[in-house]
Amino acid sequence: MALKLLAEHIVKRYGGVVAVRDGSIEITSGNVVTLVGANGSGKSTLSKVITGVVAPNEGQLLLNGEPIHFSDPQAAKKHGITAVYQELSLIPDMTVAENIWLTHEPRRAGFSINRGEMRARTQDLLALFEGTVSQSLAPDTLVNTLPPDERQIVEILKAISGKPHLVIFDEATASLDRNQVNRLFDLIQQWKREGMAIVLITHRMDEIFRVADRVTVMRNGRTVGTVDIEKTSAGEILEMMIEGAASPEKMRMPSVAPDAPVRLEVNNLRAGRLQGIELMLRDGELLGLGGLQGQGQTDLLLALFGALTYTGTVILGGKQAHFQHPRDAMQQAVAFVPGDRGSEGLLLTRSIMENFLLPSWRRFGVLHDTNTARQTATKAASDLSLVYSSLDAPASSLSGGNAQKVVIGKWLLRDPKLLLLNDPTKGVDVGAKGEFYALLRDLTAQGTAILFYSSDDDELLGLCNRVLVLQDGHVRDELSGERLTRSNLVAASMGTTDEQR
Amino acid sequence: MNSARLQYFFSRNTYIFSLLLLAVLLGVNSSLQDNLFELRVLNNSMRTLLPLILLAVGQALVVIGGGIDLSVGTMVSMLVAVLIKLIDAESGAGDIILAILAACGVGVLAGMLNGFAVAFLRLQPIVTTYATSFIFSGVALLLLPRPGGQIPTDLRRFYAQTPYGVPLSFYIIGILILIWLIIRSTRYAQYLFATGSNSQAAYTTGIPVRLVRLTTYVWAGFFAGLAATALTLSTGSGQANIGDNMTLDSIVAVVLGGTRLSGGKGGIAGAVIGVMILRVIRNVIFFADVPTWSQTLVNALIIIAALAGPGLLGLVRRVVKK
Repeated sequence: MALKLLAEHIVKRYGGVVAVRDGSIEITSGNVVTLVGANGSGKSTLSKVITGVVAPNEGQLLLNGEPIHFSDPQAAKKHGITAVYQELSLIPDMTVAENIWLTHEPRRAGFSINRGEMRARTQDLLALFEGTVSQSLAPDTLVNTLPPDERQIVEILKAISGKPHLVIFDEATASLDRNQVNRLFDLIQQWKREGMAIVLITHRMDEIFRVADRVTVMRNGRTVGTVDIEKTSAGEILEMMIEGAASPEKMRMPSVAPDAPVRLEVNNLRAGRLQGIELMLRDGELLGLGGLQGQGQTDLLLALFGALTYTGTVILGGKQAHFQHPRDAMQQAVAFVPGDRGSEGLLLTRSIMENFLLPSWRRFGVLHDTNTARQTATKAASDLSLVYSSLDAPASSLSGGNAQKVVIGKWLLRDPKLLLLNDPTKGVDVGAKGEFYALLRDLTAQGTAILFYSSDDDELLGLCNRVLVLQDGHVRDELSGERLTRSNLVAASMGTTDEQR
Repeated sequence: MNSARLQYFFSRNTYIFSLLLLAVLLGVNSSLQDNLFELRVLNNSMRTLLPLILLAVGQALVVIGGGIDLSVGTMVSMLVAVLIKLIDAESGAGDIILAILAACGVGVLAGMLNGFAVAFLRLQPIVTTYATSFIFSGVALLLLPRPGGQIPTDLRRFYAQTPYGVPLSFYIIGILILIWLIIRSTRYAQYLFATGSNSQAAYTTGIPVRLVRLTTYVWAGFFAGLAATALTLSTGSGQANIGDNMTLDSIVAVVLGGTRLSGGKGGIAGAVIGVMILRVIRNVIFFADVPTWSQTLVNALIIIAALAGPGLLGLVRRVVKK
């Protein structure tokens, strides 16, 4: 069935905040359109209007020329319109199969759920990602036991299980590893040939050129243009999105002096997935951690922050350290920036100021000197060039990039000597990334040692002078200088080293 | 069975630990009270337990859906008053059935009131149902200012039956669990568990979350009607505050039965077992010569322990590891 959906001049306000000012997009069968734009530019809200999750204040949707109104997600689903949501729509206590088929379970005589059938159909769907996921991803696995990448895959399968005509992928690749992304893109090509209309929201430029037919760009809640992929370039898209964006290549950190004091030395560290890690990090150095997702990178950061029990020796600033609790690590000027801003990094309902000062309230006396505290928070916000309405506004009012700044900023107020970053730019837009890289540069110039895990290879290759590639809980390879190339990084994350090739 | 299957099994059958606890407690109880399993004693206990079991089943459905209903106790009082108003010592079978239907119908209406306020007006369930509980309490007093009423003796005899040597209550529990197993295999159950587990995700998936929430309170009202019927049949008369104390018991029973108070996990078998555990604990207290006035205290301690249980286990695990 050929389908053409037009969103015209959509406006969506949340109270006083305008999320979408003038959003328009055209989506047709057999076509992949990427929707790009800085964080807070209204992409997610526009897609939620299309799927009936939120109702627009103004503007209209045209389905095959007819005006249509979706009162809730059910209504959109009836027309075959669905989405893979960024904040996943999975039920944690249910199994993979139950989640995938929720609201369209196969039934016997239209009454009782046919679990055998449901399991078999789930197997068929899981086969699409065969080879890129672990054995534990099975129809009867509970979703709350799955790692983020496999949850994302379940979310994708859930969206396509109803044989939809139109699917919006809202940053569906952000938590997937390289193999999974490749598989997804193969599938997208196939679905496209079968006549599905596809919208892909992404922050990764290379993905746009791999799958898109057209690119629709949003800025500040407005659709600023749609271009054919044949007739455009990364530069032009970037130009449309934001001015003065920085790419990681231009932001490489200055190399650190070989005699700079050693900040951190780790020997035979075992914790979680880690099978004995050795590493050394000097003051003022940005050390990258790479590899496929879930190879122990996060465990390493958590262990060094005292949030995961470990064995082995950790020497921090020349002194042996053993952290039992994040508090111990904080006292030694170690800071950790979590990957999941919403659940680990921010108190969403509390004010921006409180979030900034959360780890440092002690500085402002037993009865808080709120004036000084406010000045400190104001200064921190301006140092980070934070875009915010008021320090008293809830943290949830910040856009992704700005929220991440607060997560990091609250630790910078404590002058950390060792900063642990867990995939900090995931889901952050290009413009905010540039500012973030500049911030990292300032920090290393001040002598802060940074251990930086990123799932984005471009970032590791562009920013770092040295990258440790983790695989199966081991440091598979250490790349620096001329050996720091994309092919070496890929090879090491797949477990091969130079000698084997 | 591998660990994923095991996890799945325990997350589906949350009452397993409760069942073990019940078995242990029954052992303790029967050592203190040797006639516990005599048919007459068993039938008497089950007859007095059935009202709470029915009420806890309704409560369990509300809790699974992510809510809580603090009005079920006074709802029972109100519905008992309705029954006493409609039945007297000379009532025939037809009148009695009509009265029971009326009680369940009023219960459904009361549940709709709760459900509408919680699901559609988005009021806090705790505050809302606490407030409506006073409405029901007021109506009960209006209908039945003085304790009293009578029901036909045949009816009481009917309720005390033990067909094939098994108390009538067990047949009713059996039917309930059978119905639950059927419902458990329908889409409605998936919607109910999804709503209780993560209502936002359920909404984006296209589940009519508000409607599902509403139905849980309607179920609670309907089961309050059945509970009121069972209570009237076992006591033979009514008073306007007869059910008031059953609210906390129904919640304690649901928690003891392994249903998660924050929603999305549990079942009605657990609620039935929970009520029995509660009763057996009280028996033990009674036969161990612990003063009965400490029951309120014990109730409170049980609910705190049940709530703190998972957290305490985690804490112990961490301490043991170190």
